[in-house]
Amino acid sequence: MLKAKGLDKKYGRQTVLQQASLEVNSEIKALIGINGSGKSTFLKIVAGIVNPDGGQVLINQRDVTGLPPEFRHVGYVPQHPALFQHLTVKDNVLYGLRKDAKTEYTKVIEMLGLQDVLHKRPHELSGGYKSRASLARALVPQPQILLMDEPLTGMDVVLKERILPDFRRVLKELQVPVLYITHDPKEAELLSDSYAVIDNGKIHSVDTWKEAFDMIHTSILQAYSC
Amino acid sequence: MNRNIIKILFIPLFFLLIVFPILALLINLNMEGIRATMIDPYFWDSVKNTVLAALLAAGLAVLVAVGFAYYHLFHRQSLVYKIANLFNDLPIALPHTVAGLALLLAFGRKTIGFIGETGAAFTLFAVVLAMFFVSYSLAARTLVSGVDNMEPEVIDVARTLGDNPVQVYFKIVLPLMGEAIFSGFVLGFSRSLSEFAAVIMFGGNLPGKTQVLASYVFTKVEVGDLDMAVTAAAFCVALSLLIVSVLSIRRPKYAES
Repeated sequence: MLKAKGLDKKYGRQTVLQQASLEVNSEIKALIGINGSGKSTFLKIVAGIVNPDGGQVLINQRDVTGLPPEFRHVGYVPQHPALFQHLTVKDNVLYGLRKDAKTEYTKVIEMLGLQDVLHKRPHELSGGYKSRASLARALVPQPQILLMDEPLTGMDVVLKERILPDFRRVLKELQVPVLYITHDPKEAELLSDSYAVIDNGKIHSVDTWKEAFDMIHTSILQAYSC
Repeated sequence: MNRNIIKILFIPLFFLLIVFPILALLINLNMEGIRATMIDPYFWDSVKNTVLAALLAAGLAVLVAVGFAYYHLFHRQSLVYKIANLFNDLPIALPHTVAGLALLLAFGRKTIGFIGETGAAFTLFAVVLAMFFVSYSLAARTLVSGVDNMEPEVIDVARTLGDNPVQVYFKIVLPLMGEAIFSGFVLGFSRSLSEFAAVIMFGGNLPGKTQVLASYVFTKVEVGDLDMAVTAAAFCVALSLLIVSVLSIRRPKYAES
């Protein structure tokens, strides 16, 4: 479970996050925002990749603010699959598996349909399989929360509509809380249980993806009308 | 503007100032010089010294550059990085006689060096150090550009999977930087092969002991044995061409993700 409270972040004079707060319980929560709204910065602060200027990050009631990523037990699926090119798919997927861990990683591999490509190198995979491998790699160490930063960017709509329900089935079965970052409310609807919108560094909770869509629409109009 | 301006500027100047001197060297090769050089044991000693010292210097340069690239990647705000970065490109701008003198004062036989009497000066080890001093910057620049070309997300993911920066560096970054490491080594090696001033100041020019190809050519010109100097110089050209070819043939092993 994630609780981010009052996160602030500035890059130089530019304010990226302003008292941004969000809770993710046992659910798949989509954080929707246009480009430059601060959504990726928010996720990177939760992951420990970027340090906030103020605020607090709690994961399973543990204050992890200031801890480096390796001590946070988060799973991270970045925008591009970022697979380790010198390792096979299997070595990628098992990379975060600790020697003493008793996890059924084969279940994750089977659920994501990776069993036939385990021996391959990442550059031999299609875009869809790369995304699946990237998700499997983040899930195998059994993270306390999974952070997904627009992992299907650049993929065509048909493929997205096929792959997102698969991802949802896997995430629901593994019962892992998820924070899913996207700029596309429709994509959020295919995957998520609940929604929030980030606009000008502030996070607002919304009830439906349509409400999120309206907020994003207004935000885009405002951005281009000045 | 004349469309041919680039051709007019480039072709004559390039061929006159780069290609022509090399051709002049090759045209002046003669059998007598080649024969005399090939049976001169000091020539082969200088070849052996050059290649051995340059290999060691390039290896050392890559080793230190690997350390610098780590700081560049993970600790760019640290004092160590800032100081190292300040000194990094100094050997490029510094006259190499100055570099040789600095090495002599630091590690020389006299006790003026801060380490005292090391016995390093005028040995093959001194030649290695002199070559390292002038080639390190190239290796460091190459490795740093390799690090800068990496997808930052790859490092971020490895960190969230439990690796600390040192583990990420050795398990992920370095294996993916094979190309940059190889290029850094070859550039360091070729720069070391061509070094003269720093080597002669710190390592000396002792035939059979610390003489390298560059100083062999210099000695032969100085004593008026131009034919042998030309042969040794042509040998250097061939060696350099080989290295340049190796650099241009090598291609990245891994495709982009």
